[in-house]
Amino acid sequence: MLCSTIRQILVNTEKEYGPEDAVRYKIGKNKIEARSYTQLRRDSESFSRVLEALGEQGGHVGIIGATSYTWLTAYFGTVDCGSVAVPLDASLPAKELCELIDRADISALVLDDIRRDVGELARGTCPKLKHLISMQKEETDEEALSFRQLLKEHEGPCDFEPEPDKLCTILFTSGTTGKSKGVMLTQRNLAENATCLDMKIPPRTVILSVLPIHHAYCLSMDILKGVSLGAVICINDSLLRVAKNIKLFQPNMILMVPLMIETMAKKLEEVSGLPDSLVKWQVFGKQFHTICSGGAYLPPSMIDLFNRYGITILQGYGMTECSPVISNMVSWNIRKESVGQLLPNCEAKTVDEELWVRGSSVMMGYYKMPEETAQTLEDGWLKTGDLGYADEEGFVYLTGRKKNLIITKNGENVSPEELENKIGENRLVQEILVREHEGVIEAEIFPDYDYAKKKRIKDIRAALQDIIDAYNQEAPAYKKVYSLKVRETEFEKNTSRKIKRY
Amino acid sequence: MFEKLVNIICNYVEVEPENVHPDSRFMEDLGFTSFDFMSMLGELEDELDVEIDEHEAANIRTVQEAADYLEKLKAEE
Repeated sequence: MLCSTIRQILVNTEKEYGPEDAVRYKIGKNKIEARSYTQLRRDSESFSRVLEALGEQGGHVGIIGATSYTWLTAYFGTVDCGSVAVPLDASLPAKELCELIDRADISALVLDDIRRDVGELARGTCPKLKHLISMQKEETDEEALSFRQLLKEHEGPCDFEPEPDKLCTILFTSGTTGKSKGVMLTQRNLAENATCLDMKIPPRTVILSVLPIHHAYCLSMDILKGVSLGAVICINDSLLRVAKNIKLFQPNMILMVPLMIETMAKKLEEVSGLPDSLVKWQVFGKQFHTICSGGAYLPPSMIDLFNRYGITILQGYGMTECSPVISNMVSWNIRKESVGQLLPNCEAKTVDEELWVRGSSVMMGYYKMPEETAQTLEDGWLKTGDLGYADEEGFVYLTGRKKNLIITKNGENVSPEELENKIGENRLVQEILVREHEGVIEAEIFPDYDYAKKKRIKDIRAALQDIIDAYNQEAPAYKKVYSLKVRETEFEKNTSRKIKRY
Repeated sequence: MFEKLVNIICNYVEVEPENVHPDSRFMEDLGFTSFDFMSMLGELEDELDVEIDEHEAANIRTVQEAADYLEKLKAEE
């Protein structure tokens, strides 16, 4: 059923599946705990009341942490009372997170204790931040408010009806200039993206959520779509344990990025001496049938390989700016070379080879970045930065990229300029170009040979590797540089003296 | 531990056991992806009955570093 607000999604499902499990998660090694749809709605409404009591209804609420029941409660509670949720990447350095907290005008922050360092730094550097709420603390203390205690104190219903076209979520995405951009999404953007396509997924489907929750793809497809279907959403506690958690939670469906699909393919091929159908039983369990793939390019051969074992891969395509799904494959109409059919709420056209899309999921714009917004949106059309087209039936085909962004196999967007600027701060680095090479991020460096001579650096490669290592130490996993190429000559430049990238 | 690691490494990437050295780096030299690496550690976690910290594991670069880390966990058990 098409819903125009996130609250409608949760309320509809709660009415139908109230006492059934909504979320399952691990406590300890192998024990599973569950929360029902009624509990999820009740706790979310209690959190809405917490925000009201703190004077934060309508304000910006940051959420930092891995996927958890508390994270979900904080998210639904925030957006359902007309406030704006700002999910942030828990793996970023504290300084970077504080810059985003400040830039997104966050006044209340729900924080996983694992990033207590962010809370400490934010207290001194984010003047607009008024409330720090700990996801784990049993009781409020001088350091932070306790999420649990607040929920208990303000327990009760909240019948606020958010407006469909009001801002409800800001998600940060890598910008081409190296500064991340806050994508502003409304209730309608997200709710219609999650509910406008009937993928004929049976209710009570068991989904294992393995992707980072601050990503639009996970938030929209695992959580919002999952809730709209009355699914059981199981939380994977660590990327180390995906295989183990598949056995524990016995999912029917997993949303993955190509990087994970390729590793799982190796696991399938590793099993020898069994018929194909039994191989699936061993790796994914008898009940498993579907993988949704998104975030980056998936080699079509993977679709055939998984099909052999009785697993359907449904490929999708999108970007945060479109809440995020633009096109999706459905199980009864698969075309391997395409990235799926346009969602019913989306139309497309091609302008100078670039794919433009329009519809109810296209963002409002970038938060406080009018120039970047004007460059990306034109008369309601979103310029995707991808080269491609949609055919008469709405199947989308991509042929290349216009934007200068690295899309890693795990779906993370990395701005090469950001890395170039950071690594290039060292005097030994005269010129640097960062790009993707054979699946990893590579830095090609033209060193300052005069400087090396002055400083008597003999092994220039080793010195450059030390610089990369020092950068990697601070960087989140998806921004680490794993390949170094040293140049003996300067890079070729274009007329404006910029390094030619291609 | 090193031998155990070499065996399991060869299940994830196409490399001959004799080409895996203590100072081989998982990503740069052996061609691991970050998720291959995480999955392999998950498998070892079961096999050795230890609990690996995802954040500590992210700092491991070479086969020797992985062997040392796992030995340390095993000793703490």
